[in-house]
Amino acid sequence: MTGSTSAGGVWLALSALLAGLMVLFLLYPVGMVIASSFTGGASPGAGWVRFATEGKYLAALGNTVLLGAIVTVGSAAIGVPLAYFAARHDFPGKALVAILPLTTLVVPEVIAAQTWLMMLGNNGLITRWLAEQGIAVPSFYGWFGLSVVMTFTYYTYVYIGTLAAIRGFDVQLEEAAQGLGSPPATARWKVLVPVVLPAVLASCLLVFTLVAGNFAVATILGHRVPLLSVLTYQAFVSETGSDPVMQSTLATVSIGLVAAVLFLQRRVVSRGRYEIVMGRGARPTRLRGAAAIALAAGAGLIVAISLLPLVSVAIGAFTFARGPVTRWGQWTLANFERIILNAPDPVLNTFLYAGCATALGLAIATLASYLIVKKRTPFSPVLDYLSTLPLALSGTVIGIGLVITFNTGWLTLAGTGAIIVIAYTVRRLPFGVRNASSTLYNIPNSLEEASIGLGVPPLRSFFKVVLPVMLPSIVAAGVLVWTTTVAELSASVVVYSGGRETMPIQIFRLIESNLMAQASAYGVLMLVAILVPIWLATKLFKVDIFAAR
Amino acid sequence: MVAVTIEGLGVGYGATRIIDGLSLTIASGSFFTLLGPSGCGKTTLLRTLAGFVPVGAGSLRFGDRDVTQVPPHRRDIGMVFQDYALFPDKTLFDNVAYGLRARRVEEGAIRTRVGEALERVGLSALGARRPAELSGGQRQRVALARALVIRPTLLLMDEPLSNLDAKLRLQVRETIGELQREAGITTVFVTHDQEEALALSDRIGLMREGRLEQVGTPQDIYRAPVSAYVADFVGGANTLKVELPRSVGAGGPRAVPLGGGTVSTEVPEDLRAGAAMLLARPEDIALGAPEAGGVPATIVARQYLGGVTRYTVALATGQRLAVALHGGDHDRFRADQAVGLVFHPERTRLVAA
Repeated sequence: MTGSTSAGGVWLALSALLAGLMVLFLLYPVGMVIASSFTGGASPGAGWVRFATEGKYLAALGNTVLLGAIVTVGSAAIGVPLAYFAARHDFPGKALVAILPLTTLVVPEVIAAQTWLMMLGNNGLITRWLAEQGIAVPSFYGWFGLSVVMTFTYYTYVYIGTLAAIRGFDVQLEEAAQGLGSPPATARWKVLVPVVLPAVLASCLLVFTLVAGNFAVATILGHRVPLLSVLTYQAFVSETGSDPVMQSTLATVSIGLVAAVLFLQRRVVSRGRYEIVMGRGARPTRLRGAAAIALAAGAGLIVAISLLPLVSVAIGAFTFARGPVTRWGQWTLANFERIILNAPDPVLNTFLYAGCATALGLAIATLASYLIVKKRTPFSPVLDYLSTLPLALSGTVIGIGLVITFNTGWLTLAGTGAIIVIAYTVRRLPFGVRNASSTLYNIPNSLEEASIGLGVPPLRSFFKVVLPVMLPSIVAAGVLVWTTTVAELSASVVVYSGGRETMPIQIFRLIESNLMAQASAYGVLMLVAILVPIWLATKLFKVDIFAAR
Repeated sequence: MVAVTIEGLGVGYGATRIIDGLSLTIASGSFFTLLGPSGCGKTTLLRTLAGFVPVGAGSLRFGDRDVTQVPPHRRDIGMVFQDYALFPDKTLFDNVAYGLRARRVEEGAIRTRVGEALERVGLSALGARRPAELSGGQRQRVALARALVIRPTLLLMDEPLSNLDAKLRLQVRETIGELQREAGITTVFVTHDQEEALALSDRIGLMREGRLEQVGTPQDIYRAPVSAYVADFVGGANTLKVELPRSVGAGGPRAVPLGGGTVSTEVPEDLRAGAAMLLARPEDIALGAPEAGGVPATIVARQYLGGVTRYTVALATGQRLAVALHGGDHDRFRADQAVGLVFHPERTRLVAA
């Protein structure tokens, strides 16, 4: 409807260019991964034969699915009740409960894994204290640690999804059911649950995909439990020289697994899309007495555990350490001194690459969402599909795809900073596009037409009229892309080369060497780099960062 | 002030033609309304005039200037939208000044002209506000000021009143009429509301499936509809199938048989014997005693509406029609009462079936 005669060519050219870039840096590398899983190796299909016959690969797939199931159930067990009580009841300390799980969203996984180890690892603060009391704690490595850390990392997704669904529920439906003779609890069960369930299930399946793609926690805590993401990375690292086919095969398996779950999620969401008439939200009921205390205590405990990483990384950063030996209780600034004076490169690299990726990602997201929502061209569906594709890809897969595609040939990027920026940009593409397009749907076409009608050419109308209205969501997208990119590990650890370490990579390496105090110091810097922009965006632009997440 | 000439216009998305072979001339300085139900192509025609929809065939001229291939931002139009389309991040002043700034009018002149424009729509005190702080009626006044302040060649309005409640609709309608007369700008107004069209327009083009069914003054359209479609859409009318006997020649008034009686009306030249359609508005039919003559009928239902009573009557053939009486004892007839229908001879029309 809005295709105006003179400007059509500009948009067509831009969308063709953008689609071309996405195909080159996203679709083509993924295709290379899948193709080389069949063609690579000693003979065609050798990778798949090994996958099916060598026990550890099938065990890794089984472990990944099992861990995904455990964490999904655990996340639902924490996230759903917390969301329900936060939406429907008032209790002491509720304000804190309502906001704090959101802040844990920004805690990087690598820091979560590290700080749990600092508390419960073999030399952890809590482990040692318990040992002094004569209580032996089971090793935190393996299933126990994996399940606990991932559950407390990912339950917030279920919490947010459920909270939004319950808040959007029209309480008049429940009242109608009561009016028709159902007692309150039955009414709630029969009316609220079916309406909210699809959203809850969708967020659970999202958690499953995140677990399947998780690299940091899986590698740091997995040790004797082989997991798909870890084996993929190991196949990549040990690949040079030996048999390169397993990295592609395992990457293809993980693409298939995540794609299958996302497909299921889409079906759940589309089947559960009831038309919800904008109704009255429920008034939270105030709880008193024992119930209130129990609820506040339970919620408080969950929140406290969620915040454990923030607290312990801060403690660790200022704690004196000699090599791997941490002297709890001895405070120092030496850790910061060391990383800022002796090894500032990871900090500078992070800022440089994440800064470039954010700027690039925002430009692409703004343009792509505009071309998807407002200026449909024959390329728009391509942009739409490709910009959501990275959701089905773990960082490891994206990294491997870029490395095997741009290792040699006419466009050799291996060993450059550009490949890190591209990996970041591709990985966070869905975030940017989803956020930028969320407001675009609410901007009527007439706004732009009014401007054009008043004599301002189409391209300038976009900048003068549409862009200012999009600005808050662009800022939100920028902050999200930045914060998640600063903390990115799984793709960058695959594509980086010596001298181009970022903070998460450095933290990862320090944890592997058991140098927790230094890792914590980087962690604190990283958290500052994440929290300051969020704080600024919320204060200056009044942006709701978590609205579209 | 220019005339608008549309010749053989064809518009379509893909294979479907939304407008096909439409020709129309809109007189300079006049208020022209495109009226019709949703999906008839009226908004597409307006958007084609604005340049947002590409022309598939034919030509468009504003005065002597051929604008068929001119992009919208060079057509010098003022457009008012159904959803106001005010720039939400800009103040009222900046909204109204937007088109002037695009035309590089100097800032001093902008201040004067925007001030005048806001004053004319009664919002001069609110220049510093943003659209979100205004009511719907106020927003549409701003949109009107924004469109008029650039003194456009052509003013285009796309259902500007349909998002407003009934009372505001009347107020803004008056404002639109006054401002258009004052400015004398050629105006094309799109609506599906016949009352708006009758109240505001110099001429009305009634659209049906991408073409113009009838073009004329409000009086023409109301009093002399060319088809049952027009009569029914504007004002509402009874449409009655009749058989014209061979003996009835053209001219009038002639007696046309209907349901055991006769209706006296003019028979147009081009109408042949056979099936035809009789159009009669409810208020153009009188009820009398059956003995007094007219078409025999029975009253089926009756709605007393204060100033007027609406009756549903059935003919002997089973055909039903609506009759509206006002003045005097308009509520004197009862259900099941036998009556005689007398059709107003000048206002009852015969058209081809």
